[in-house]
Amino acid sequence: MRRYALLLALPLLTALTACRAKHSARKPDPPRNAYDTEADWNNADHLIPLDYQQSQGKRLFYMYCVWCHADSTPAGPSNRPNLNPAPHLIDDGTVLNSMSDTYLDNIITLGGSAMGKSASMPPYGRSLTQDEVRAIIAYMRAVAQPAYHKPARPLPHYKAR
Amino acid sequence: MPAEQMGQIPKRLRVIYAVSTVIFVAVLAISPIRDHFAGWKRYEKGYAKFASTRANSRQLMADYHGGIDQIWLPKLNVTDRCTTCHQGISEASLLDDSVPQPFRAHPEIPHHVRAWGCVVCHRGQGLATEVSEAHDTTLAWEKPLLPIRYIQASCGTCHQDSLPETPQLNRGRELLVKFNCEGCHRVQDIDRPAMLGPDLSNIGAEVSRAWVYKWLKEPRTVLDSSGNVVVDGYDTNPRMPQFRFKKGEVRDLSAYLSSLKSPLVESSQIDPSVAAAWRSRSDLLSYGELRFRQMFCTDCHALAVVRLGETQLIGGDIGPELTKVGSKVNPDWLVSWLRNPQAYLPHSQMPRYEWSDKDLYAVTQYMLNKLSDPELLSDVPKLGPATPAEIQHGRRLFNAKGCASCHVIRGIAPQKDFGPDLSNLGGKTVSELFFGNAKVSHTLVAYIQAKTSDPLSVNPAARMPQYHLDSADLDAITTALLSMTGTPTYPGFALLTVPASQPKFDPAGDFGKLYNRFKCFVCHSFNGYGGTLAPDLSFEGSRSQHPWLVAFLKNPQTLRPTLTVRMPQFNFTDQEANTIADYVEMVLQNPLVNKAGVNPKDFTPQMASLGKQLYFVKYECQSCHTIGATGGYVGPSLTNVGNWMDAAWIEAWLKNPQALIPGTIEPRRDFSEPEIKALTAYLLTLKQKSQAGSGTAPGGSQ
Repeated sequence: MRRYALLLALPLLTALTACRAKHSARKPDPPRNAYDTEADWNNADHLIPLDYQQSQGKRLFYMYCVWCHADSTPAGPSNRPNLNPAPHLIDDGTVLNSMSDTYLDNIITLGGSAMGKSASMPPYGRSLTQDEVRAIIAYMRAVAQPAYHKPARPLPHYKAR
Repeated sequence: MPAEQMGQIPKRLRVIYAVSTVIFVAVLAISPIRDHFAGWKRYEKGYAKFASTRANSRQLMADYHGGIDQIWLPKLNVTDRCTTCHQGISEASLLDDSVPQPFRAHPEIPHHVRAWGCVVCHRGQGLATEVSEAHDTTLAWEKPLLPIRYIQASCGTCHQDSLPETPQLNRGRELLVKFNCEGCHRVQDIDRPAMLGPDLSNIGAEVSRAWVYKWLKEPRTVLDSSGNVVVDGYDTNPRMPQFRFKKGEVRDLSAYLSSLKSPLVESSQIDPSVAAAWRSRSDLLSYGELRFRQMFCTDCHALAVVRLGETQLIGGDIGPELTKVGSKVNPDWLVSWLRNPQAYLPHSQMPRYEWSDKDLYAVTQYMLNKLSDPELLSDVPKLGPATPAEIQHGRRLFNAKGCASCHVIRGIAPQKDFGPDLSNLGGKTVSELFFGNAKVSHTLVAYIQAKTSDPLSVNPAARMPQYHLDSADLDAITTALLSMTGTPTYPGFALLTVPASQPKFDPAGDFGKLYNRFKCFVCHSFNGYGGTLAPDLSFEGSRSQHPWLVAFLKNPQTLRPTLTVRMPQFNFTDQEANTIADYVEMVLQNPLVNKAGVNPKDFTPQMASLGKQLYFVKYECQSCHTIGATGGYVGPSLTNVGNWMDAAWIEAWLKNPQALIPGTIEPRRDFSEPEIKALTAYLLTLKQKSQAGSGTAPGGSQ
């Protein structure tokens, strides 16, 4: 009788194993798997992986913002020491992490004076699109030191396998 | 068989029958069971479960129907079933990183997923419903998913012009041009330029045989004390890569090349009275260095300097690096070349300067004595005069090694397509590639990277030279090569191709002569044609006032406080400067700037004082612009803007800077009309009295 059980089990097993999708367990290297990377300003060996939106933000940051919001620029010395109050560095998480996306969106779009801050920050709302402003904020969040964490909110119960 | 047993089936047979029935049913069941437990069903049910945890579950489930979902676009030949598992692909609320894959939405890109499908950009097998079949290489499908790191290659398949959103692809295409890949390979959408490497028809008059020998062995001259190349090959020598020559081959090639001599085209004579007066002066070399710096040779040429024990290159890469040029060139040839570079290389980008004999003598003496290294050729063996056998063999090698792909020698037929065709490399399947002994994974990306970084690892007999690329450049080149997928396989895509724009600006007349002589286009751009080193001059006539332009041309200065690159002093005559200014004023106009509509006399001192308040208090323009010695570094200095810019330009600029120079840093503000008038009035009062010519290199795009 045992032989028949074995004979029965065989096709069943075949059918069951066929259900499982073959998956290679190779873990991809996150920076290599990213759309783009950015070198951490505080640690040159550390690469921050960027997704599409963040990499667009990086491009826009180096076009418009880097001149005042970084300590060195692609064209030489930064304009930051000329300004009072000094603009926040783009990766200054200690300050920027506590500002909400909406607030940052407003200060980029409407400028410093509209938000009760220094008029040195000009409004970019008529030069950049909403998507572009959001991309810059996404980039800012990606490079923040200490790392930026989204404000707490109910997490989905579902976890994909 | 007994009669009573007739009609009865033996037990043994019955058992066999029962078992085979069970097996038969089981085998029949495989397919439905497999289907029931199919991966895509699990993901699809998972999506329904996941959507129920979201606040907007009703909206997320609107398109859900529980079956194979596909994007079918007959015009593009797209049948993609990816959305069967990637259910949330176009749900904006699922864009967040916390959403688990495969349900996350696609990042916002200019093309909508439902209108383009997935495989068009990501590759992979669109019809597959198994995870591995869709994503990976299988026996039946050899175009796996493109790693996301190289995804910009897919943009480049249709967009042959450069998009701002794809910096990696643009960089890769630049590198393909820079490394002269089109010298030996056919590359999609990159045409062979008029000149790749220098014309060598007269190389024997320019350099010695020992120098040719040294150069062929190692086409870089900047080495540190231990003999290592400190600065990578790309920077020190962007053009000639390192070829693998054997000792005898170098000897014979150097013999052949040094035999190519003809008399100098341009006189190398310096006025003897000038030379005699300066030869013995102690400040000859320091004066030469001063002039060398004042002429901003380093805008285009690099020099190696040692800083903090590390050799660095300072300067541009438009022309060759000059650190040891004094040990390279024949002094007579140098004088002759500087007088008229185009007489030697008709396509040279070097301007033909108006030299005084004094300057020419001092600068060449400086280069020959200071930019030199007496030890440079010390490791070259004694070569002696070239023998006819050496020359003949060298000439054969010149063709056999593919030198004629890039270099021209009169009397030698130029070579084309010396290397393999790369114009459809990005569309090749793995089985079309030859990996040889390369120890890399068998994928297209790994193949391209192995070939590019070390050609010998794939094919020990490769003729391709060795390039030195850092990982970012290697990725950029890989992206550009992956984008070349040859002729579109489906006619729908041929219609979608966005060709690269090919602007051209080649003015005629007196200005055209000056433009071509002084090579304005090497640094400046005109409606998209030309270099990016200096400001875009497309609308310079609308911006600058004529007297300022003339003064600037005669004595160019920069007041961009942090800029180290500056326009060379070309020593224009009054007539030349006026010809250029007249042409700029007449032709390089922007229709948005109506010069006749603004009269500078309309601006009153009251307006100017209001403008000053707006400038310093309300808008804090000093954050970015300098007036005198104070202000910011971002925009150009406004110290002399009253002499420099036209009132109509200032007004148009304040209304909308991006309309005049797209992509300029200064944002568009909502100034009211009186504010614009007041600011313009104030800016027009800013005039520097003593030097009418000191404005900045105009522009706002840097």
